[in-house]
Amino acid sequence: MDPTTSMYVAQGIHGLAYGMVLFLIASGLNVIFGMMGILNLAHGAFFMLSAYFCYQVLSITESFWIALLLAPIFTAFFGILLEKFFLRKVHVMGHMGELILTVGIAAIIMAVVKIFWGTESLHIKIPPILAGMVSIGGLDYPSYRLFMIGLAVVVMVIMSLLLYKTRLGKIVRAAVSDRDMVNALGINIPVVFMVVFGVGTWMAGVAGVAIAPILTVFPGLADQVGMDAFIVVVTGGFGSLLGAFIVSIIFGLLSSYGIQFLSQLAPVLIVGFMAIVLAIRPHGLFGVKE
Amino acid sequence: MINKIKHWILWVALIGILAIFPKVFGAYYTNLFVTFAVFAVLSVSLNLLLGYTGLLSFGHAMFFGAGGYGTALALKHIEGLSLLPAFGIGVLSAIVLAMILCPFVVRVSGTAFAMLHLAFAQLMYVLALKLRGITGGEDGIGNFPIPAFTIPGVVSFNMKGAPESFYYFAIIVLGISVWLMWFFTKTPFGQIQVGIRDNFKRIDYLGFKVPHTKAVIYIVAAAFAGVAGSVYALFHNLVSADGSLGALVSFAPIINTMIGGVGSFFGPIWGTAIFQIIEELVLRFTDRVELVIGVTLVLVIMFAPMGFSGLITMLKQRLFSASSHKLEKI
Repeated sequence: MDPTTSMYVAQGIHGLAYGMVLFLIASGLNVIFGMMGILNLAHGAFFMLSAYFCYQVLSITESFWIALLLAPIFTAFFGILLEKFFLRKVHVMGHMGELILTVGIAAIIMAVVKIFWGTESLHIKIPPILAGMVSIGGLDYPSYRLFMIGLAVVVMVIMSLLLYKTRLGKIVRAAVSDRDMVNALGINIPVVFMVVFGVGTWMAGVAGVAIAPILTVFPGLADQVGMDAFIVVVTGGFGSLLGAFIVSIIFGLLSSYGIQFLSQLAPVLIVGFMAIVLAIRPHGLFGVKE
Repeated sequence: MINKIKHWILWVALIGILAIFPKVFGAYYTNLFVTFAVFAVLSVSLNLLLGYTGLLSFGHAMFFGAGGYGTALALKHIEGLSLLPAFGIGVLSAIVLAMILCPFVVRVSGTAFAMLHLAFAQLMYVLALKLRGITGGEDGIGNFPIPAFTIPGVVSFNMKGAPESFYYFAIIVLGISVWLMWFFTKTPFGQIQVGIRDNFKRIDYLGFKVPHTKAVIYIVAAAFAGVAGSVYALFHNLVSADGSLGALVSFAPIINTMIGGVGSFFGPIWGTAIFQIIEELVLRFTDRVELVIGVTLVLVIMFAPMGFSGLITMLKQRLFSASSHKLEKI
């Protein structure tokens, strides 16, 4: 393969890897915001919190795999606490109440993280098995990024199977479209919503751990990646996993090729794409009009 | 009659306090007050959309930023421009931006409206960060000349290095803005606004054009956000992407409005004041402002969801019903 083509391919896989991680966070947010209709601005903060948990678990156990298992679960636990004791009470006030509450929670998480871990960037090592390069068609590529893509695909497949092939998924989809009716049928809606919220934050947690070795862990993660995830959900359409998937990939590729060709203006491409999509279809690419 | 006299006395007292404020409290609190006034005007202009028309915007910062960048760029590139035209250019650029966006945004409402604004505001923010040649990137535009306030042949006040005269300029401009917005909500047109919020189908049925009305309100709200942004840029002699276009600048007025009380005209002003006071007090003891503000937001939304104005109304009602109980007993 000649150098130019291999460079394009490498950039493509780079973009794919970022797009996949973006999709992991965004699909968590999509479940919470798109399907349950809870405007959760603390999602990025949970994502960051999980990266810090990963650092902590890693420094105690020295095993990335235990961190990958435990950190998202801790994160999901805090997410469930948030849903049970706070969000549920303000849900009746609509988006405004949720906005204020989750902005407050995000600020608290940010402050607490700064108290415990300080403000400087913490480095996390890539686990030794994945530290090497993989050769694909004569092209050397860091295997950790391929692992990230694989992880995202696995989580996505599990999520879609859960949502569209199981009884639980059916209940969740029914509860989203008519909460009162499902409640009247004898299904404990608050518990269902609590579990769904937990799953959403768990996915943010997985993404936080996956991205930690690449981006280093610092408090700015929440704003930087959280905003991107929010944009993906909005552009893809609320509640549409497919939309979030396609838009994440487009964003990943736009940012990696954009950096190559336009360098400075790459972020403009992403938000410009969002602005154009929303100006034509206000409910997102695959969104359904309320 | 007595009410009217009371009214006038209150007005005179308010103007008197504002007039002697810098003399009594010194430079530090004067600057603090100007910051408060700028964000109060921004919050009230947002409340024209949010509270009066029921349109939640996640991107009000772009008009604030347009005002700031408009004024800063005009002063930087046009030699010998005087203060009022520069200020006017800032407000005009916010209005022009609103007019460009109007056709897209008036068709939608609810979540889609909020998200569309998020998109456009992010676009503005990123453009301001990346178009270094025009906007100065992360550094923003600073140290542009600030001309004297002149009415030819009448007066001339030096503005640069004279915080007191700038204070009077800012307070007068912002005060007039608040008064104009108050007046605006009291006109029949302002009443249609509330009608659109409560039942837009009925307003449509009555023969009013809903999208056109929304467009006018939108432009008015944008213009006053531009006023606030322009004054803010002049005040700091600096306009930067994070300081006037960032997502926080969009969220702050929403939060101020919610904390103060979304249904009332003066709610956002209360909210801005409350936040400014909290920040000021907290900074005395600790630099963990984030934590305190986070806890405040959570507490308010959990225990006083109607905001400060709602709290006062509730207390009033309680006192009122308590006294009426007494009357019944007697």
